[in-house]
Amino acid sequence: MSEIVIEVGKRHIREINEEIQEACKTGKPIRIVNTLSRHNLGVGLPDCADLTFEGSVGYYCGGLNTGSKLTIERNCGWAVGEGMAKGHITVGGRAGMSCGAAMIGGTIHVKGDTGPRCGVAMKGGNIVVEGKIGYQSGFMAHSGKIIALGGAGESCADALWEGEVWVAGPVESLGVDVNVIEPTAEEVAEVDAILEPLGLVDTSRDWRKMVSGQRLWYFEARDASAWLMI
Amino acid sequence: MCGIAGRILNAPGAVGRDLVALMDAQEHRGADSTGFAVYSTPLDKGYVLRGMGFSKVRIDADLETFRATLKEHGADFTSEPAIVSDTSKHYSFRMEISDPKNLQAWVADADELSGHIEIQSCGRSLEIIKDVGGATQVSEKHKVHDMIGTHGLGHARLATESSVLPNASHPFWARPFSDVAIVHNGQITDYYTQRDRLRREGYRFLTENDSELIAVWVSDQMKQGLSMEQALKKSINSIDGVFTFMIATPDGIGYAKDRFAMKPLVVIEQMGELAAATEEQAVRTVFADECDVINYDGPSQFGIWGVGNRSMAA
Repeated sequence: MSEIVIEVGKRHIREINEEIQEACKTGKPIRIVNTLSRHNLGVGLPDCADLTFEGSVGYYCGGLNTGSKLTIERNCGWAVGEGMAKGHITVGGRAGMSCGAAMIGGTIHVKGDTGPRCGVAMKGGNIVVEGKIGYQSGFMAHSGKIIALGGAGESCADALWEGEVWVAGPVESLGVDVNVIEPTAEEVAEVDAILEPLGLVDTSRDWRKMVSGQRLWYFEARDASAWLMI
Repeated sequence: MCGIAGRILNAPGAVGRDLVALMDAQEHRGADSTGFAVYSTPLDKGYVLRGMGFSKVRIDADLETFRATLKEHGADFTSEPAIVSDTSKHYSFRMEISDPKNLQAWVADADELSGHIEIQSCGRSLEIIKDVGGATQVSEKHKVHDMIGTHGLGHARLATESSVLPNASHPFWARPFSDVAIVHNGQITDYYTQRDRLRREGYRFLTENDSELIAVWVSDQMKQGLSMEQALKKSINSIDGVFTFMIATPDGIGYAKDRFAMKPLVVIEQMGELAAATEEQAVRTVFADECDVINYDGPSQFGIWGVGNRSMAA
């Protein structure tokens, strides 16, 4: 099937996104070229597109995705896949701050590292990072899994709700109110099931699973020790 | 939200053009005002002054009074003031002066006139140009695009902490220290307390802008014996708020980021030249090829990019 090529360059982003939306209706693969790290590319895509961004993109690429498959060949800026509900985003390079912020479903796969607050306030779905997740990743994640194969930066898994942060590799420091627990074989199998389609299963990994200590959940205002954790 | 940028060339070149491109690409981060700090080949003696006056009907009288303060300190204009003005109330000027006997003492006296006329930069190498409006507008008015130099800074301001005034725009000169300028993206939350302390030590602030503090704070630390790198490191735990700032001297550009990693900084380095900005899409206006970017997006980062035989510390 032939692909549709869309040029970014210095054109107006709204015009480009309208062209992408029209191209999605054809069902053909779409290749976006000359991306120049521009912001807001491919936001609000429907459940049918297969897009490849040739090069790097800026902020919010793939935000509010409802089921499309996006491949970003190089880097992306802030908040790739923010608020996405379904679909799959692959980032060939590194992802900037707030990767997958507030996403509720789908998968983001980052082949490099991420910036700070990866998965901040996420409410579902999975983020798989082959490199290292940045400062305070997982901050206030309500649900879903952040799986980092190359370690984590400072303040990891700070103030989690019911989200989980899985790290193989060194963790520079933990955030507040984190419990690091030994995962069960069933839980590891669940993570491997997420990694398997990406070709990233390695049974020799030494996992650290981080969950909330729940001391900051609805804590009593007069509980000074809980306040002092913050 | 503001946008900042830095540019270093291997040799004197079109740094003004590049800074305008870097700021034009970030105009959506703040179009209240735009400013540039350009470093050119240093004068052997004397200084270049850039400044602003606030009453166009008093230009001659104010410049004469200003000149009188200079003469009292054993110096004088060595070039005629070049005036730039349009329909706005203020005007800008550029001139060269000979060396006052004591630069800091003269600046203190000249600053007494700041209600009418204000020095915005003083340096053998540094020139700060700033005004209300976007990058292209400010560049066209002040011919920034044509400025030749080795390195410089740029700033696009979205005013949050103080008014949209031409003199409250960035970059800020670290008065009274020659050739030091800063640009800042963020908010300094304890600036009033810190500024008060520095005022009691004799420093003068001419705006209500929180970022003016950073310039003087870093220079004061260096005056007390810290290297720039040590001062940058100390700033991370001594200045409260969220920030990424860059500080420039004739030797290079330093940067520091807060403890919370809130404000981005993206860098492309190629063939010994460097462009830094808040957004990746901006640095790609200077390095058009799909080259690698370095993201300084962790907490508490600092370092210096030198000019010439550059070294980096982080």
